[in-house]
Amino acid sequence: MGYIGKRMTRVEDERLVTGQGRYVSDIELPGTVHMAIVRSLYAHAEITRLDLNQAQQLPGVVGVFGPKELAAIMKPLPLGTPDPRLDAITPMPLAGDRVHYVGEPVAVVVACDRYVAEDAAALVSVGYRALDALTDPRLAATAPPLHPGHPSNEVATVEYRVGQGEEAFRDADVVVDVDLRLDRVVAHPMEPRGVVAHYDAKTEELLIFAGTQGVHGYRRAIASMLDLNEDHVRVIAPDTGGGFGVKNRIYPEDVLAAYLSCQLSVPVKWQGDRSEEFISTNQERDQWHHARIGVKKNGQIVAVSDEFFQDQGAYTPAGIIVADTTAICIPGPYRVPNFAVTGHVVLTNKVPVGPYRGAGRPQGTFVMERLLDHVADTLGMDRLEIRRINLIKPEELPYQNGLPGRGGPMTIPYGEFQNTMDQVATAINYDHYSHPHDTRGPWKLGVGIANYLEMSGGAGFEGARMRLLDDGRVEVATGASSQGQGHLTAFAQVAADRLQLPFEQIVVVEGDTSAIHRGIGTFGSRSMMMVGNATRMAAQGFRTKLLEFAAEMFEASMDDLHWENGTITVKGVPSRTISLADIATRAAQEDRALVYEAFYDATGPAFGMGTHAVVVAVHQKTFAIEIREYQICHDGGVVVNPLLADGQTIGGTVQGLGTALFEGLVFDATGQPLNATFLDYLLPAAGEMPDFLISEREYPEPTNPEGFKGIAEGGIMPPMAAICAAVENALREFSITVDQLPVTPNYLFSQVKEGSR
Amino acid sequence: MTITMTVNGERVTVEAPAHWLLADVLRQKLGLTGLHLGCEYGVCGACTVLVDGEPTRSCLTLAPAAEGKSITTVEGLRDAESGALSRVQQAFIDHHALQCGFCTPGFLITATYLARISEGLSREEIREALSGNLCRCTGYQQIVDAVATALSPVD
Ligand code: FES
Ligand code: FES
Repeated sequence: MGYIGKRMTRVEDERLVTGQGRYVSDIELPGTVHMAIVRSLYAHAEITRLDLNQAQQLPGVVGVFGPKELAAIMKPLPLGTPDPRLDAITPMPLAGDRVHYVGEPVAVVVACDRYVAEDAAALVSVGYRALDALTDPRLAATAPPLHPGHPSNEVATVEYRVGQGEEAFRDADVVVDVDLRLDRVVAHPMEPRGVVAHYDAKTEELLIFAGTQGVHGYRRAIASMLDLNEDHVRVIAPDTGGGFGVKNRIYPEDVLAAYLSCQLSVPVKWQGDRSEEFISTNQERDQWHHARIGVKKNGQIVAVSDEFFQDQGAYTPAGIIVADTTAICIPGPYRVPNFAVTGHVVLTNKVPVGPYRGAGRPQGTFVMERLLDHVADTLGMDRLEIRRINLIKPEELPYQNGLPGRGGPMTIPYGEFQNTMDQVATAINYDHYSHPHDTRGPWKLGVGIANYLEMSGGAGFEGARMRLLDDGRVEVATGASSQGQGHLTAFAQVAADRLQLPFEQIVVVEGDTSAIHRGIGTFGSRSMMMVGNATRMAAQGFRTKLLEFAAEMFEASMDDLHWENGTITVKGVPSRTISLADIATRAAQEDRALVYEAFYDATGPAFGMGTHAVVVAVHQKTFAIEIREYQICHDGGVVVNPLLADGQTIGGTVQGLGTALFEGLVFDATGQPLNATFLDYLLPAAGEMPDFLISEREYPEPTNPEGFKGIAEGGIMPPMAAICAAVENALREFSITVDQLPVTPNYLFSQVKEGSR
Repeated sequence: MTITMTVNGERVTVEAPAHWLLADVLRQKLGLTGLHLGCEYGVCGACTVLVDGEPTRSCLTLAPAAEGKSITTVEGLRDAESGALSRVQQAFIDHHALQCGFCTPGFLITATYLARISEGLSREEIREALSGNLCRCTGYQQIVDAVATALSPVD
C-alpha cells in the first residue's frame, strides 16, 4: 500500500487547530475541587512549624493537609530504573521535617477553585531553620550527607574502562585536557504538569487523567503508593502538551491528588503553572567535566578519558540513567581504542535531575566533539580532518566499541560517517568559512561541525492490540502514547501497510490502561521501533484470525481465501466477497470479539548517525551571536513519515540550540534559583532560530524487522558542540576557548577579557 | 460581576468574580478551552485571543476589561458559514506546524491577525512577528512555512 515512507499530514490535527484538543487542564469533571501546593522557600532547612489553621479558615477551602494528616502515603515514591550502583533516595509526597530544595512540597490545600486554593496556600505558615545549602556537586561529594542514614552525597559512581584506559595516554604524542561545563536546563514542555484524579466510591475505581509518557508505569506507581490493586486504577493520558522525558514518572502531586480524591470522594485537580514547572519538575544537564584526549602526531586517537560530576539535585527519582548514558555516549562514532570514564553522581540542594530529551547523549557528544576540536587546534590540524581520521570506516562495521549499550555490548551496525560529514561540510561551504577571509566589519563569521551517534530504544517491550470495530475499521491500541509525536498517524501508516488496508480504516488508540493491559511508554526514542515492530507482528496474527473467521462464514478453507484492500474473496469466485464490516457484523451477532495482540521485545538499541554544521556571526563588540546557516544530515533508518521526521529533527535541534545559547538555571549560594521565569530564563523563539536544511539518509536498522530507528534525540545531540566550535572559529583573533554552556555574550566577554588559552 | 461581550460572533453574558482573568472566564465559564495557559505572565503567548481584532494575552487581561468587546478564540476561526477550516488552520496542518498542539491556538490567533493586516512578509519578518509565541516542540520552521503560505496571495 506504500504508506510507510509517505509524507502524510496528521489525523490528529483538525481537532488541535480548532481548539478541540483535550489536555489535562481542559478536563473539569462535575464537582471537581482544586489543589494547590505549599512549597519550600528554602533550599535546605529544618521545618520547625507547620500551621494550617489560617488557611483552613478561608471560605471555599475544603481541607489543608501536612505530612501528619497524610501519614498513610508518607513513604518514598517508587524508584524509576533501579541500579545496583545507586544508593537511591526518592522523595515522599510531602517533605517531612526537612526540605531539600526550593520548591519541595510541604503541604497541600484543596479548595473550590484554583484562585482560592492558591490564596489559602499562601496562608499556610511554615517555620524554617535554614541550613547550609549544597549547590556545587564537586564540593558536595565530600560534604556531610544531605539525607540522614545515607553515607555519602555521592550516591553513585559510574565507571567504564575499555582497553588500557588511562594508562594508554603514555603512548600518545599529544595530550590535551579540557574542562567543560553544561549548565542546568529545564525541559519546559509548554503544558505544565497537571493531574485530575477521580475516585468513585461506589465502584471503588480510581480514574486518573495525567499527561504521562507511560500510563501503565504510572498506574503501577500510584497503586503501590496508595496500596490499591492495579485493577482498580485506570490511567488516561489525554492530549499531552509535550513531555521530553520529564513526564515519564509520577511526582508527589500525582500521589497527593489521587490520595485526596480517594479520601474526599470527589474529583481532585491539580494544574501546575510555569513557576512550579521551574521548581518542581525534574531538570537535567548540570555537569562538570574534566576530559582528556591523547593522539598520535597523525591525529589518530590513542585514548580518551573523562571524569565528571553530575549535579543530581536532592533525590534520584529516575535512577542514574543520565550519568550512565553520558558515560557510554562519549566515544560516539569514533574509534577510541582506550577509554576511561568516571562519573560522580552527587546530591545537592536543587530540583532532582531526571532524563530530559537525550538523557546523556547530548552530554557525551559534547565532550567528544569538544575534545576533537581542541586536539586538532593543538596539532595545527583541520577540525574536519581529525574527524575523518578517527570516524569508524564502513569496512570496520559492525563495530563494537567495548562499552555496554542497553542490555548487551554496544554494536554499531552501519553508517557512512565520513561521507555524511563531508556532504554536510561541502553543503555549508566549510572551507570558505573556516579560514580567515573577509575580516572587516564588526560581525565575524565562523563555522562549526559536530557528528553524533544516536542510540535509540533498546530495552523492554511494547505491544499492539488489534481489534475489529463494528464498522469494519481496525483499532490498534498501544501503551506508548504520544506527547505530540503524531503516533495516531505514524502507527496507522505501519498498520495499514502490514494489514494491507486503506489508511482510513485504521484507528490508533493510546494513552489508556484500559485499551491494552500492559505497556511501557514513550521515551528514549523507542516508540516507532517498538510499536512499529509489534504492529507488524500483530498484523500477521490478526489477519489470520480474520481469515479463519471468514473461512467459517464461507465454509471454505483458509487457503482458498484472498485478502485484498479490506475485502476477502474466495479465490476464483469474485461473487463470494465480504468486507471487514461484514465480518464485524457477523462477529457482533455471534458475540465474538476479533482481537489479536502481540508484544515486541527489544533486541538492543538502534544506531542512527549524522552531522550538524553551523555558520554563526559574532559581533566583536557586543558578542551577540546570530545563526546564519545550519545544515543537518540525519540517518533515521526506515522513515515512516518524512514530514514528522523533519519535525522531530528540527524540534530537537532547536532545543539543543536553547541549551547551547540561552538556557541555564542560575542559583545563588543559598540554593535559590535566580532566573526561574520565562522573562529571565530564555527559551529559543522564532526570531532567533534559523531555517534548517536537512538531508536524510535511510540506512535500515538491521536489528529489527522493520528497519526502524529512533529519531527524536539526534537533533538535540550535536548543536552545543557545533555552536561552541563555530563561535571559537568566529572569534579566532581573540584565541579564546568556548567550553561552557550556555554560550552567552557575557561569557564570551569574560573569556575575551581573561584572554584565556 | 456580570460581563457582557461578543465571543466568536455571539453575544454572551457571564457572571464572574471581578478579579478573574479573561482566560479563566473563557475556559471555565464558556468552555472555550482551546486557548491554553503556558505561563500566566504574558510571555508564552499560548493564551492569545483577538480582542476587537487585536492579539491580546488573555492571561494578563482581567475579565471585566472585556466588557462590550468582541473576542475571537481559536474555536471561532472556522468559516462561520461553511464550517471550513481557515487558510491559516489548513496551512498549519499541511506544513506540520504543530506537534503537541498546546501552543497552537496562540500561534493560530497571531497568524490570523498577521494574515489580516499584512501581505508579503518576508520569512524573517514572519519570524519576528511570531516571536511573542513560544513553542517547545516544532523548532518553528514548519510554523513559519505555514504562516508564509497563509500570507501568500490567493491564486
Ligand atoms: S499564558 Fe498568557 S502569555 Fe503565557
Ligand atoms: S506544538 Fe508543542 S509547544 Fe508548540
